[in-house]
Amino acid sequence: MVRTAAERAFIPARHVLEEFGDMMILTARTIWSALRPPYPYGGELVSQFLFALRLCWFPLLVSTVCLCYAAPGLQAANFLTLFGALDRLGGFFVLGAIREIGPNVTAIVLAGVAGTAITADLGARKIREELDALQVLGVDPVKNLVVPRFLALMVVTGLFDIYALLFGIFGGILAELVNGQPLGPFWATLFANASTTDLWGSVLKTTIYGAIIAIVCCYKGMSASGGAEGVGRAVNEAVVLAFTAIFAFDYVFTQTLLATHPAILVIK
Amino acid sequence: MAEEQPGGSPRADGDGRGDEFEFHTGTIRPSREPDAIEFIEVHKSFGRNHVLRGLNMALPENSISMIIGPSGTGKSVCIKHIVGLLYPDEGDVIVHGKSIPSLSDAELFEARKKFGVLFQDGALFGSLTLWDNIAFPLRQHTEKSEEEIAEIVNRRMREVGLGGEGAKMPNELSGGMRKRAGFARSLVLDPEIVLFDEPDSGLDPVRTALLCELIKEVHAENGGCYVVITHDILSARRVGQHISVLWKGRIVESGPADELFESENPFVRQFLSGASAGPLGME
Repeated sequence: MVRTAAERAFIPARHVLEEFGDMMILTARTIWSALRPPYPYGGELVSQFLFALRLCWFPLLVSTVCLCYAAPGLQAANFLTLFGALDRLGGFFVLGAIREIGPNVTAIVLAGVAGTAITADLGARKIREELDALQVLGVDPVKNLVVPRFLALMVVTGLFDIYALLFGIFGGILAELVNGQPLGPFWATLFANASTTDLWGSVLKTTIYGAIIAIVCCYKGMSASGGAEGVGRAVNEAVVLAFTAIFAFDYVFTQTLLATHPAILVIK
Repeated sequence: MAEEQPGGSPRADGDGRGDEFEFHTGTIRPSREPDAIEFIEVHKSFGRNHVLRGLNMALPENSISMIIGPSGTGKSVCIKHIVGLLYPDEGDVIVHGKSIPSLSDAELFEARKKFGVLFQDGALFGSLTLWDNIAFPLRQHTEKSEEEIAEIVNRRMREVGLGGEGAKMPNELSGGMRKRAGFARSLVLDPEIVLFDEPDSGLDPVRTALLCELIKEVHAENGGCYVVITHDILSARRVGQHISVLWKGRIVESGPADELFESENPFVRQFLSGASAGPLGME
């Protein structure tokens, strides 16, 4: 009885550790394959970059404007109005939109839209034995399929972060206008608090989010099994795991950035 | 194989159910040809599922070898071991004297040039036309000009009855056409070893018969070691020159087809006659 209970607890834990280990190995192989010649993945990289761009630009636009308008915009504006400090909303947007909402919404949209498409595509190829056929025909799936997706998602999430920041701040402007406030104090507190550290921190964090999404989604796609149902399960697991990994990494990154750059802790 | 010998593992199954191998005499009847592929005491598990359980098997050169057995008994896993897509947990897989699990990535890449593989559903690349799919190995592995590639691809497409269909995408083809296209792709490099993973699955009896005839014709023309995985006895009778009967991850018996069809082993007799009465049940 005790043994059975121990086995029940141990087997899923071992499975999680094995998956984590496999993903670390895939990450190392991907980086090594990306750096080591030959470089046959240029065309696929461009195609994946454009694919992610085409799928994500509109959902990301709507998500960032609405979320920034509703959360730090309307909700924080309500709170700041209590203290007669609505002019501080710009500074709040540095904390809310640039450091957190922009990168996280970008990652969520990219994982939900492009990441799931990658998992479904690779999962279907795995089920149809195309990945096995590639290997037998002497084509390395990591170099030819994972590397271009890894690089494309890193670049596209980094660029999309800037796009998300711009539309997020636009949400803040809407909130100011709805509250009948002039925009001068908003811009003043925004630029008083924003620093280059905030910008590169945001872009770097989002670029690493892209790498996490690519590895998780490629891994789940390439390890799919059990027919069409298995591909659906892989897509579901990829989304859950990508979100979990992104938020866990966000904590580590934010903590490290604040510890190494204490100046950005000061609210001006 | 020089002489008849027992090829079964002396090791009892891990769960101690020794009697589940009572029909596994492991007899390997001598073949006239030297061995192209050998499995030596191969074990392979997927989680708790112990698929290959001390498999000893030899597949001869210049023959069409059939690996037959009930579903889920490890036949497709054998093919993946031969081409290095899977590695054994224990034991060794030898192809033309080289241990496949011991090869480096570069050596495995070279070794794979001698294989042609027909996967169950053809495994054509969905983003390429039929013509480009068949030309893919030539572009990947050779320095041939496009004219030379076109000549080879067109010849192979005609051989499998797909001449003129080259512009179609894989999703526009029937199951039988996809299999024939996969067959053409597996042949373009003139491989020494061609592996067929259930070429008859999902095909009607007439198309199965035609595909079997095609395999025989191409083998008669090119020679080499052809390995066909199936659980269809009619196909085995049509094309099999050497038969290995696999059950529960081990060889029950193997040898030249005509001798296997005369075997006294109750399991082999039941399976090769397709009878419902015998050691193999629904479990």
